Amino acid sequence: MLNQNNSDSIFVIIPFYNENTVIREVIERLLPYNYKIILVDDGSTKSPVDILSDINPLHYLRHKVNLGQGASIQTGIDFALQKGAKWLVTFDADGQHLASDIESLLLPLQNNEADICIASRFLEKGKHNATKGRKITLKVGRWVNYFFTGLFLSDAHNGLRAMNRLAAEKINLKENRMAHATEFLLAIKKNKLRYKEVSASVLYSDYSREKGQSVFSSIRIFFDLVLHKLFE
Amino acid sequence: MTGIKILLTTGVAFIAVYFFLRLRNSIFDIFILLLLIAAAVVFILFPDITNSIANKLGVGRGADLVFYTSILIFWFVILKLYARIRRLEQIITQVVRKDAIDEAEKMN
Repeated sequence: MLNQNNSDSIFVIIPFYNENTVIREVIERLLPYNYKIILVDDGSTKSPVDILSDINPLHYLRHKVNLGQGASIQTGIDFALQKGAKWLVTFDADGQHLASDIESLLLPLQNNEADICIASRFLEKGKHNATKGRKITLKVGRWVNYFFTGLFLSDAHNGLRAMNRLAAEKINLKENRMAHATEFLLAIKKNKLRYKEVSASVLYSDYSREKGQSVFSSIRIFFDLVLHKLFE
Repeated sequence: MTGIKILLTTGVAFIAVYFFLRLRNSIFDIFILLLLIAAAVVFILFPDITNSIANKLGVGRGADLVFYTSILIFWFVILKLYARIRRLEQIITQVVRKDAIDEAEKMN
């Protein structure tokens, strides 16, 4: 269990884009843990500030134009590092992750067993409710990631990760859109970071299913990756 | 002079005028441009030259040779443009990011 002092240096970064209907609930579920919360609004059409005005321990950052989730996460990381973060967590805004899973991702970091922990919904049974199409896409995604990074993870695209300061300083996401999941792996490989997969739930609601990426956006990710390799 | 020759040379002339009006910044650019325009006009007016070059390279017709090389050139141009777009995207990202962080700092 984490003590109060410790949670002061834990920053949860939430990339946000037009998830106004669920964001309040997502943040309220995080509040009991006393994490520092950084909400990076990626140029949403309607600012969530009104909905969240009474939630106090919250850093709100706003991109003036929409850049993509990868860019939002990087902005959050930069800001958290500036604020002296020791541990950084990325957390999706649509409510698919459980706030309680964060602790189990932080544990290997705080025991100094890993520099970065990536959540996986496939390590244990019954941790996800992904549709068949999505499961197949994620399976293909594993191999694509392996092809591009040499790391073979059980979950190709999971928005929940935790890292220590050392790892966060090495992360420099250049892909503004969704290819950032693979970019994390590239950074792990390149900087020889110690990584660990930790079992965590991904529960899609009707909302997140509607809002989230379709199976087809994985094709876009693939092309972003190819171009990333070509031009970096 | 056949119709197609008139059509193509007028096209080249228009592009040339446009470039000179817009992009007359360096001697080198103008030199390269003049060279390209001259080559284009020569090949348009005397297509037999491309034919003989094509035959030497093992391509049947001059027009085919022009077609193949222009595919290569366009490919190159697209890659260059794409690289530039990516660079622009990164610059915009940096500016927007800095602005977001500065604004957040101001609020606290």
